[in-house]
Amino acid sequence: MRRALFPIGLAVSLALAFVFLTLPVAAVFLRASPVELVRQLGSELAVDAMLVTLQTSTIALALILVVGTPAAYALARWQFRGRSVVVALTELPLVLPPAVAGIGLLAALGTRGLLGGTLDAFGVRIPFTQAAVILAVTFVASPFYLRQALVALEALDPDVLDAARTLGASPARVFRRIVLPLSGGALGAGATLAWARGIGEFGATILFAGSLQGETQTLPLAIYAAFDLDRTVALALGALLIIISLAVLLTAKLLPSWTRSSLTSASSAARSTSM
Amino acid sequence: MLRAALAALAVLAAAACGGGEPDGRLTVLAAASLTEVLPEVDPEPRYSFAGSDALATQIREGAPADVYIAASLRHPGELLAEGLIGQPTAFARNRLVIAVPSGNPASIKTARDIAKSGVRLVMAAPGVPAGDYARSALRALGEHAALENVVSFEDDVKGVVGKVALGEVDAGIVYATDIARIADVAETIEIPDWAQPSITYLGAVVADSPNGQRASEYIEHLLSGGAAALEAAGFRRP
Repeated sequence: MRRALFPIGLAVSLALAFVFLTLPVAAVFLRASPVELVRQLGSELAVDAMLVTLQTSTIALALILVVGTPAAYALARWQFRGRSVVVALTELPLVLPPAVAGIGLLAALGTRGLLGGTLDAFGVRIPFTQAAVILAVTFVASPFYLRQALVALEALDPDVLDAARTLGASPARVFRRIVLPLSGGALGAGATLAWARGIGEFGATILFAGSLQGETQTLPLAIYAAFDLDRTVALALGALLIIISLAVLLTAKLLPSWTRSSLTSASSAARSTSM
Repeated sequence: MLRAALAALAVLAAAACGGGEPDGRLTVLAAASLTEVLPEVDPEPRYSFAGSDALATQIREGAPADVYIAASLRHPGELLAEGLIGQPTAFARNRLVIAVPSGNPASIKTARDIAKSGVRLVMAAPGVPAGDYARSALRALGEHAALENVVSFEDDVKGVVGKVALGEVDAGIVYATDIARIADVAETIEIPDWAQPSITYLGAVVADSPNGQRASEYIEHLLSGGAAALEAAGFRRP
C-alpha cells in the first residue's frame, strides 16, 4: 500500500504540471470560435502588427546571423584571457529583464542617451522608430543564437578543420565549406529559437520603440493594445502566436537531430569539395 | 556574407529614417480617451493613443510626430516650456464618471460607495491625467480612503475601461466619453458636479514636425469641422 503512494504522487504532480501549463494555452482557443479568431486576424490592427513583426524580426534575424555566426566562431576557436567573461556578458540578455533592456537601449541610443548626440549629428534618430524595434529584438534575441552557435561550433572536431587547413584551404574557406555545413542544423535551431524570442519581444520594445500601429506595434504590443479595446482581437493574435510558438518548438527540436543524421554526408561532401 | 551585412544595415538605416516624413501621413500622438473619436474626426493620420504622460516622454525622446494631443494642461505646459511643441489650443472638455460592470456586483449607488471596504477599484496611475483627475475627485468627495481599494493603477484610461468591461473589478474611474463603447457590459454612476475636476484637452504642433502647416490645420479642424463628431461622442466644447 505504502509503496503505491510514491508513483501515485509522481502521477498527480505530472498531471498538475501538465494541466497548469497547457490550460492557459487551451483557454485562448476556447474563449472564441475558430471562425471568429480567423476573422479577427483580418482586422487592420492585426494585419499591421503581423507585417511589422515579420519585417522587424526578419531584419533582426539577418543581423544576428550575419554578425553572430562569425562572432560565435571566433569565441569557439580562440582561447584568450577573459574569454569566459565575454561569453557570460553576451549571454546576459537571456536573464536580463526586458524592461532593463529597454531603458538601457534608451540610455545608450536615445536622443538624450550616450550616443544620441553622435547619431543626431548624422541625422539618425532611433527611439520610437522601426529601427528601435529591430535593435530591441536583436538585443534580447541574439544570445539565444550565440549560445546555441557557440555550443555547436565548439563541438566541431578540430582535427577535421586542421586537416582542411593543412590541405591548403584558407580559414575563410574552411568556415564556409566545412564549419557551416557541419553545424548547419544546430545553427538553424538556434536561429529559430532567436527568431521566436524576437517575435515575442515586449518589454524592451514598448520602452524603446513605443507602440504605433503599422510602425512599431508588433504582435505582442498589439495584444496589449487590443486587450482593453477589443479582446477578441487580442485572443486571435494570441492564438496566432501560440501556433507559431508550437511550430518553432517542433522545428528547434527536429533541426539538430537532422544535422546529426546528415553529419556524415555533410563531412564527406566537405571532404570531396575541399580536397 | 559582407554584402548581406551591408544590405541588412542599409535596411536598418532606412527604417531609422521612416516616420514623420514630410508629405507622408500625419502622425498624431493623442490621449487614450480619444481612441474612438479621433479616427472619426479624421481617419487620415496615423494615430498613437496612450497616456498623455507617456506621449510626452516619447516627444522628449524625439519620437517622430506631428501633433500632440493631451488630456491635461500640465504635460503640454511642460513641453511648451521645453520648446518641444508649439502653443497649445484647447478644443474639448470632459467629465469623470464611475463605471461598474453590468449587475453592479459591489452595489455601488453613489460615487462615495467606491470607498466602501472590499470594493475592488481600478484607476489610472498617478501622473496619467485620468489618474490625477480621479485623485482630485476623490479628494473633493472626501473619500481619499478609496485609494486603499485600488487593485490596479493602469497606464492609461483605456486600461481602466478594459478592466471594468472584463468584469474583473467592481468599479473604475473613467471619462464620461469612455462609457459608450462598453455600454452593453457596464453601468454608470455619476460623480456630482461639485466634485468634478476641470478636464481640458489641448492640441499642439510638435516643434520638430516636418508638416507644421498640415499639423496646425488638423488642430483647427478639431475646433471647426471635427467639433460635431466630438460632441456626438460626448465631449464638450472648451
